[in-house]
Amino acid sequence: MTDLPLNGAAGAIPDFPRPARSILETDARTRARNRAEARFRAYGLAALLVGLFFLVLLLGSILWNGMGAFMQTRMTLEVELLESELDPEGTRDPAVLAETSTFGYGDLIEAALVRTVAATGVQTGLEAGDLDDLLSSGTAARIRDAVIADPSLVGQTVTFDVLPSSRVDGYIKGRVTRESLANDKNLSPEHLDIVDALVAQGTLDRGFNLSFITGADASEKRPEEAGIGVAMIGSFYMMLVVLGLSLPIGVAASIYLEEFAPKNRFTDLIEVNIANLAAVPSIVYGILGLAVFIQFAGLPQSAPLVGGLVLTLLTLPTIIIATRASLRAVPPSIRDAALGVGASKMQAVFHHVLPLAVPGIMTGTIIGMAHALGETAPLLLIGMVGFVASNYPGGVLDGFTSPNSAMPAQIYEWAKRADPAFYERAWGGIIVLLVFLLVMNLMAVLVRRRFERRW
Amino acid sequence: MNDMRLFERAATVDEVKIRAKDVNVHYGIAHALKDVSVDIGDRLVTAFIGPSGCGKSTFLRCLNRMNDTIAAARVTGAIELDGQDIYDRRVDPVQLRAKVGMVFQKPNPFPKSIYENVAYGPRIHGLARTRAELDEIVEKALRRAALWNEAKDRLQSPGTGLSGGQQQRLCIARAIATEPEVLLMDEPASALDPIATAQIEELIDELRQTYSVVIVTHSMQQAARVSQRTAFFHLGHLVEYGETGDIFTNPRDPRTESYISGRIG
Ligand SMILES: Nc1ncnc2c1ncn2[C@@H]1O[C@H](COP(=O)(O)OP(=O)(O)OP(=O)(O)O)[C@@H](O)[C@H]1O
Ligand SMILES: [Mg+2]
Repeated sequence: MTDLPLNGAAGAIPDFPRPARSILETDARTRARNRAEARFRAYGLAALLVGLFFLVLLLGSILWNGMGAFMQTRMTLEVELLESELDPEGTRDPAVLAETSTFGYGDLIEAALVRTVAATGVQTGLEAGDLDDLLSSGTAARIRDAVIADPSLVGQTVTFDVLPSSRVDGYIKGRVTRESLANDKNLSPEHLDIVDALVAQGTLDRGFNLSFITGADASEKRPEEAGIGVAMIGSFYMMLVVLGLSLPIGVAASIYLEEFAPKNRFTDLIEVNIANLAAVPSIVYGILGLAVFIQFAGLPQSAPLVGGLVLTLLTLPTIIIATRASLRAVPPSIRDAALGVGASKMQAVFHHVLPLAVPGIMTGTIIGMAHALGETAPLLLIGMVGFVASNYPGGVLDGFTSPNSAMPAQIYEWAKRADPAFYERAWGGIIVLLVFLLVMNLMAVLVRRRFERRW
Repeated sequence: MNDMRLFERAATVDEVKIRAKDVNVHYGIAHALKDVSVDIGDRLVTAFIGPSGCGKSTFLRCLNRMNDTIAAARVTGAIELDGQDIYDRRVDPVQLRAKVGMVFQKPNPFPKSIYENVAYGPRIHGLARTRAELDEIVEKALRRAALWNEAKDRLQSPGTGLSGGQQQRLCIARAIATEPEVLLMDEPASALDPIATAQIEELIDELRQTYSVVIVTHSMQQAARVSQRTAFFHLGHLVEYGETGDIFTNPRDPRTESYISGRIG
């Protein structure tokens, strides 16, 4: 026994000096340690503040630029729907009315504008033919649609809510000024005199722009009519496909790999590859989708079904990684307990392990879906470009196959277009997209809270 | 090991429930159990004692093939239950485990209600036809595990909300609810107070009437109180096996002697 007696009195080990120190005064070591801690806290706080600053900057600029898209200038216009122009034979048959093209309405609208301007009393040097620059170029089409839908309107003077052109809208929102119009062929300062008078009269005002949220994309000439609604439907259908495929496939693959598969070279290889797949650039999946789903399998272009398939490939690794992590987090003692009372492996997994892993799986799925929702590049390769989203799908099932776009691709499309009014729509679209992502992330948090670990 | 001295147990064991012959267990390259041969009697309590890490739990897990779940574990040798090889290819380990129940060293209740914990086994084995029968099974199991009085008013609250000792008794109730023929208990009383320990020991004694019970324990007194046979393990060897009274009063091997007198451990 060479050891020192452990239970001997303290005085038995006199060789260890024990400096007398009071706990009321801190020594040099403690002070240095406390200083290091204070420094570290300061760094952390600074890092946090920098991050927060950029976040506020980002959100602020998005809101600042994008809120305009949610407001829209409107104008009331009394149009005399002359029978002599639209329906000379008096049939009131929609088929006959459809024979009149939108050009046939041009004169009626011009006359209505002349009357409206005259009513304001503004003296203007503009020709009657220039007045329709005040209105969206889609106005005639809208009035024509209304007439075909309700032929009894013909022969009456009807008050329509029409959209002013994007320049007028921009002037009301402060984006367009008289100076900026100097080199603009689309609108002149004289028009603005009329706009001022119309505003004073109450004929022209601003309101909430519901059709931005529900509407379809419009051509380059009509930013005031463009909405993100159809692209939203496209995104929705893609998410259905992604959820319907990636959740069952991902969970089944993870359970197999984690609980049943033997641990050998082959499964190691699969494991490494799944981790690598999660890091493959999304555009690679896009070109894969183009080659496999469209060129090889012959699925339609621009279809949310194909988009969903591509995004499923993209989401699967995320879901598999999250599911495997949450399966692994279930203590092995739970499996032993189930096996110990004579449950089969599958019963142990489905009765005990999987329920405990559900919150992790759901969180992973929601986050994977949120990624997929914001993905743009692969969609462009399979033809889900923004301008395709100009028609609502014909039916519920049609939504999977009829050509459509998705929210981020629509935003990209708008950002590409020259007209600053589209730029505003792009920012507005980003707000809509962020709201969706926020809701999904909130759901992930709630799910985690709701099913907190219970062992 | 050649110097391993075993009792001439063939003469003393009347009815063998489990017969293990030359069982070796390797965890990867670690040789955890070395040539263990033992006959476990029916309607008897057999105690496994020995220092920590000597392979008691490992051997216990061989008896209901729980080692199958450990990828690194490799079991060789023969283990027979009622004369049938449990490592035979035709044996479904799930069916075996319904016959050979187990209480684990660490309490591991399911994160479900107390009732569900106990009812799970009977339910998957179809032991109850009606809800009333199931209720009866649950109550009986909880009573035998000395948990009924504490649990009867909170059957629907989570089993994980019980104290450590209560959880261990819940695990015992869960194991006996499936009516196994052999019950393997890995330190069932390590987290229990003297009163609950006494109740569990009473239960073990009662179970002996119908089952074969194997219990791992670190308490010599407990082994002496509840068991008829005792096996002493040391560094993966079964050093000595025999009547409990003989082991404690007249150990043959010096290692057994020093262990029970408290010199190795
Ligand atoms: N899953 C495992 N993987 C690798 N080695 C293991 C594993 N389980 C046990 N061992 C090793 O096998 C040996 C025997 O372990 P075992 O758990 O059977 O001991 P024990 O006698 O039950 O000890 P205790 O009384 O502390 O519970 C130990 O050396 C241990 O490290
Ligand atoms: Mg043990």
